[in-house]
Amino acid sequence: MTGEPPLTLRVNGEERTVPEVAADTRLLDLLRWRLGLKGTKEGCRTGGCGACTVLVNGESVLSCLTLAREMERQEVTTVEGLTGTPEAEAVQQAFAEAGAVQCGYCTPGFVLALVSLRREHGASPPDLPTLANELGGNLCRCTGYYAIVRALADLLGVPVTSELPKSTFTVEPGGSP
Amino acid sequence: MIRTDALPKARGALPYAPDVELPGMLWAVYVTSPHPHAEIRRVDTAGAREVPGVVDVLTAEDLPGLLPREPEPTRPLLATKVTRFVGEPVALVAAENLPAARAGASRVQVDYRVLPAFTDLEREFPHWPTPEEMRSHPQVNAHVHARRGDFDQVAHRADHVHRERYQTAMVAQVPLEPHACLARVQGDDWYVLTTTQAPFGIREDLADKLGLPQEKVRVEGTWVGGGFGGKNEALLEPHALLLSRRTGRPVRIALTFQEEFLFSRTTQPAIFWMESCLKDGKLVARRTRLLLDTGASLPGRDFALGYSLGFTLGPYRLESFELEGYALRTHRPPFGPHRAPLAPQCTFASEGHLDSLARDRGEDPVEFRLRHVWRPGDRTALGQPVGPFAAEAGLRRARETARAWKASAPPGHGVGVALGFWSTGTGAGGEARLTLSPEGLVLLQGEREIGNGSIWQGLPEVVAATLGVPPAIVSVRYGDTAHAPFDSGVWGSRTTAALGYAVAKAAEGLRRELERRAPGSGPVSFTARDGALTVAREGRSYPATDLMTPEERAEGGLRVEAKHYGKNEGTLEEGLVLEGEMFPYSDLIASVHVAEVSVDRETGAVKVLRYAAFQDAGKVVNPPGYRGQVEGAIVMGLGTALTEEGLLDPEGHLANPGLLDYRIPTLSDPPPELTIVALEGSLGSGVWGSKGVGEPPIIPVPAAVANAVADATGARVTVLPLTPERVSQALRGGARDPGGGRR
Repeated sequence: MTGEPPLTLRVNGEERTVPEVAADTRLLDLLRWRLGLKGTKEGCRTGGCGACTVLVNGESVLSCLTLAREMERQEVTTVEGLTGTPEAEAVQQAFAEAGAVQCGYCTPGFVLALVSLRREHGASPPDLPTLANELGGNLCRCTGYYAIVRALADLLGVPVTSELPKSTFTVEPGGSP
Repeated sequence: MIRTDALPKARGALPYAPDVELPGMLWAVYVTSPHPHAEIRRVDTAGAREVPGVVDVLTAEDLPGLLPREPEPTRPLLATKVTRFVGEPVALVAAENLPAARAGASRVQVDYRVLPAFTDLEREFPHWPTPEEMRSHPQVNAHVHARRGDFDQVAHRADHVHRERYQTAMVAQVPLEPHACLARVQGDDWYVLTTTQAPFGIREDLADKLGLPQEKVRVEGTWVGGGFGGKNEALLEPHALLLSRRTGRPVRIALTFQEEFLFSRTTQPAIFWMESCLKDGKLVARRTRLLLDTGASLPGRDFALGYSLGFTLGPYRLESFELEGYALRTHRPPFGPHRAPLAPQCTFASEGHLDSLARDRGEDPVEFRLRHVWRPGDRTALGQPVGPFAAEAGLRRARETARAWKASAPPGHGVGVALGFWSTGTGAGGEARLTLSPEGLVLLQGEREIGNGSIWQGLPEVVAATLGVPPAIVSVRYGDTAHAPFDSGVWGSRTTAALGYAVAKAAEGLRRELERRAPGSGPVSFTARDGALTVAREGRSYPATDLMTPEERAEGGLRVEAKHYGKNEGTLEEGLVLEGEMFPYSDLIASVHVAEVSVDRETGAVKVLRYAAFQDAGKVVNPPGYRGQVEGAIVMGLGTALTEEGLLDPEGHLANPGLLDYRIPTLSDPPPELTIVALEGSLGSGVWGSKGVGEPPIIPVPAAVANAVADATGARVTVLPLTPERVSQALRGGARDPGGGRR
């Protein structure tokens, strides 16, 4: 590992210089193991699950498919950096209230992807079907997505539209013959 | 109430097993077999040891002197002499960092001689084998044969015998968090931090695998990023502990997703031959013959066959039956439990078969089920009395929904119903420790929350409701297996129901103790004030902690402990003719589901548009948790029904060990309209009469979808998953599986 050049980038608003970053180091591993930012979750490492989503210059990217060295002088934001901002808190609160956090392993990835989507459009924020469509690369194995869609709808203050997953739940007597 | 773990998780603030590290930690990676079956002639580790940063290499040769007792040759921790499946661990390389460990692993030279492999059940057994073939078959792991009456005689006298063959695929649990652990051995303290559903189960498994007394093994659970049955067994922990023992350093192992598919424990293919006899319009007998691929499982350790076979009869009255099955040891990934192990597969065969029988006769399949379904007081096929069971109530609700949907659905859509039943692990024991302390009411647990909410939300709610206070004053603290009270684990849909029972007893114990201690004689009531339990009696109220003795105060609080070991699950009926092992049921739980689908006649693509689940709840303890389990289980079941299938190439390699090719449901897949009804009243043996919920709602999903496809098209798809290819083949009238690749 010696002889590799250092890497300078901005992470969560702070300039960081990381010594000896090998050419094949992934951004995911740089964040987790060189900078100690473990809120970025390691899932499939092949771009298939979205758990490792971070923001690069405000846009969401899969950190498992991004080479760390491409981040020279770039601005990287992880869930740690975003937490505490009103836009992230709104998403996190909506997920918590809707029951969209079960094991929670996919949640930071959803939060980053969502914040970036809502920022991108500025004046005309994306509607519910657009958000749901754009989140197709973020997988969740616990919730079956119903609670996640509820969280998205709550966030936008709209009802769940007809083509998106929505459920009703009632507890009723009558279970005895 | 919002779960208090939700926000910290959403903020990325809670550590999972892949996140933990210790100073001086080594990284270990596996060298695995590239062949399904091969002789290992030589393992050369010299090249690996030369890689800078590599500290240790572990092979099977190193094990004898390292383990307190000789490893059993049939249950190797690392492949010894032969490899039995692609991905079987052959060696581990431990290094100062991950790149060095990987570089080292790539330089371990293994000289293999490839041997013939048995990876294709269908090719090996195109027909149900004769007893003679099986007597000498080297791969038979277990054989079960149970019957009542003489099926062949009944079939001879029957008006109609309906015969079909069903087949199911390899499916994996796929939690988003891969297996990971961190081990540290110091003297006699074999400590491991790991992602597990069952710390005490892992401790027992480790003690067994390593030949250690349980007291020397200390397991600490981390937050778990999903389990679904896949995190019950000691998988990486033995290797991490052995490497730590050898190197004197903490050792971390984390699996890649590819390794997850190859050597974590998954469900393998099964073939069912189903036969049902009708006499005077009545279902009188059924025979199931099952060949179950249990992968490279270990000889003599099979629970799957004896437990699952009974589910192929369905919850229906039968005058006679015959069940026969073989669990086969193959050169595929090892078999393990996956959310209601094999029940979705058995129910796909059993409920598909029943549905096609009823449709063939021109009878409404739901009416047919209602004429035969078990009612309380009946006996199961195995002879146990049927207790509280909401199958009939669920079927009546499903009939109503199916009729309404059929009336409102566009032409070409189909509506299918399926009834699944299950018996949960509520018989497994657990112990609770509740402490009244200045910090509030604290439960000490060995297992961490795995996501379903049972530990973090269900148990505090049980304490709170028992005392009549808000759940916010109850918190959960975690301890390792040396400190926390024993519990069987978060599996078998048992936690809230069964461990909740022990927790309720502890809360009752605390209530009685405080009533005894509170001055006065009137009724005692409890409230919460400033996050603390407050006692009121005869107009006076004060913090409950005022009633603690000085000793209790010094020891951190007033501690109440309670145990709950569930009822014996009953016995099988005498007179049942049985070879091999079958297991009686505990609580019976019904799930009755209705699916509405559209089928694209050109491509064979199936879309599920409306879905309804009528669940036999007993009593719902934690409503948001209950809802989350049903929603998640149904969507996971839709993956099993429609897209999930581990495919092998002709050389026996898994062709799609990753999320890009093994397709689990995404946000656009769940049915847009889902109706969940928890039917209370048929009380189970869990706390407050509850029944488990984690597993039951996945069980009828593949069958409900296949039955809806049959309703829409008249074509019966008898192979899972219902890929467009299989559906269009069935639409063209093909009776046999076109194969979507080999399983």
